[in-house]
Amino acid sequence: MKKIGITTTIPSEVVYAAGMVPVDLNNIFITHNNPQLLVEEAELAGYPRNLCSWIKGIYTTVLNNKDIDTVIAVTQGDCSNTHALMETLDLAGIKVIPFAYPFDRDYDLLKLQIEKLMTALGTDWEQVNETKKTLDAVRKRLWQMDQLTWQDNKISGFDNHLFQVCSSDFNGNPEQFAKEMDDYLAKLPQQPEIKTELRIGYIGVPPIMDDLYDYLEERGARVVYNEVQRQFAMPFDTDDLVEQYRLYSYPYGIFYRLEDIIEQIKLRQLDGVISYAQSFCYRQIEDLIIRQKIDVPILTLEGDKPNKLDARTKMRLDSFLEMLR
Amino acid sequence: MYAGIDLGSRNVKVAILDDQGQLKLHKFDTVSFYREHGHMEDGQLLVDLSALGLGDIGWQQIVSTGYGRQTINLKGAKNIAEIKAHVTGAVYLTGKEDFTMLDLGGQDSKVALVRKGRMVDFETNDRCAASTGRYLENMAAVLDIDLAELSKHYQHPVELSSTCAIFGETELIGKVVEGYSVAELAAGVNYTIFKRVKPMLLKLASPTIVFTGGVAQNQALRQIVTQELNKEVLVPDNPQYNGAIGCAVTAKKLALQ
Ligand code: SF4
Repeated sequence: MKKIGITTTIPSEVVYAAGMVPVDLNNIFITHNNPQLLVEEAELAGYPRNLCSWIKGIYTTVLNNKDIDTVIAVTQGDCSNTHALMETLDLAGIKVIPFAYPFDRDYDLLKLQIEKLMTALGTDWEQVNETKKTLDAVRKRLWQMDQLTWQDNKISGFDNHLFQVCSSDFNGNPEQFAKEMDDYLAKLPQQPEIKTELRIGYIGVPPIMDDLYDYLEERGARVVYNEVQRQFAMPFDTDDLVEQYRLYSYPYGIFYRLEDIIEQIKLRQLDGVISYAQSFCYRQIEDLIIRQKIDVPILTLEGDKPNKLDARTKMRLDSFLEMLR
Repeated sequence: MYAGIDLGSRNVKVAILDDQGQLKLHKFDTVSFYREHGHMEDGQLLVDLSALGLGDIGWQQIVSTGYGRQTINLKGAKNIAEIKAHVTGAVYLTGKEDFTMLDLGGQDSKVALVRKGRMVDFETNDRCAASTGRYLENMAAVLDIDLAELSKHYQHPVELSSTCAIFGETELIGKVVEGYSVAELAAGVNYTIFKRVKPMLLKLASPTIVFTGGVAQNQALRQIVTQELNKEVLVPDNPQYNGAIGCAVTAKKLALQ
């Protein structure tokens, strides 16, 4: 089956309905055995040093994966760097299909975008709605996992992150992904409850370093809310595909995202929130709004290179946790 | 006896507190400290404190902090987070419970908001040394003066950008060429530090600022912070030992629990 690269969550129902497989480029980049090398390769190609590592990693990832010759790029509602990324990929002979989440969450505009994608890939509403049912069944497990994380304290912050973050493309195989979750869930009843003193929320794009969750857990604090990852899993009960992607908060403004964040902080009884932003990302500006609107303690964390927490970030995390105690 | 140890990037500072509240302070060069007193055990560097030459002291409790604490284990010591150590030190040394702490060390800067003796928020500098002791040393070297001289000047500062410690040198040399006096140049250097930390101080503002860390010995900077922000600025004695003192105070508290 033909693979299609995606730069972030898009209506994957459309891709699957068209008989193709979406591949989240972020996930291949970050699970590469040496992601920093991919970033450096992009820099050698001429990408600026002071640019977000995610963009650079995606660039090299596409070029290195010869079976990906088409990319669906979210040109509005995600990253404006995506524009230039697409231009450089275009130069390398990659076919680019743009997708735009309307800034004001306008229903009709969003519908139009989804229909354009359907035409580009060659599918129709009937097939898409059928696919939605299949994918929703997989998503239901993700919602259950999330609940088992924050209500039953059975799932670690990292596992919660990992499964939900994979829902952008369902690892290219929804059926198998569902099975992996079933296996995981089947083993849970025997697992002891995870007891930590502090309950932490994580907001912002997924972290570029993968040891954050374990580091926190070792120090008695557990992430029980992964904002964007949870949004990837579309935790809304609706049969209307357009409405689903309108409720999905990530591509829209910070005020809409904050509605969800504030509700979850209360519901999940969080002691503090880590607000993550990537180095050189425009989203860092939004931090000033977040700080004014949230009334639990916030630690703003900045990630730059892939993989491991640096000494300074560890120092900041330690100080934050001690402050919460 | 209670010991507090701050494993800094440049110096290791040790504060020893006794039951009468007397403080004794010692300083070691970081690299020779590890070389002479440390050894590897199970992939971790262990430091033997009894060999430090501080006399034969019956330690009741040892608390340490600092960058090194991720990879370095001090035998028998309990580690605490750096900002926490500094806040504890600042509360102890000033007797204040509500203030903004500004700590400028050899390589990093921290600002913490303290209410009722507890830290409620904090900020640290980004990956840059432009507001730290190291920066001041470099700039003093460019001007061919010592730190004591550098720290006298705050009037008529030349305009310097405050973005980078390294490019700052080139910019400073440019100003030397333009013919500014050493006093004006030194004042300009001191002002760049203020410009760097100003956003953090405004974000976490209080009527009182407790200024600690090695850079707090810079008189001109104290003056600049006071007049620019119109706030009370307190600098405890030996401000560069603040983190070690915070650890020693914590050690005493733990021992008495
Ligand atoms: S982290 Fe920010 S800069 Fe990087 S890709 Fe995402 S939106 Fe763009």
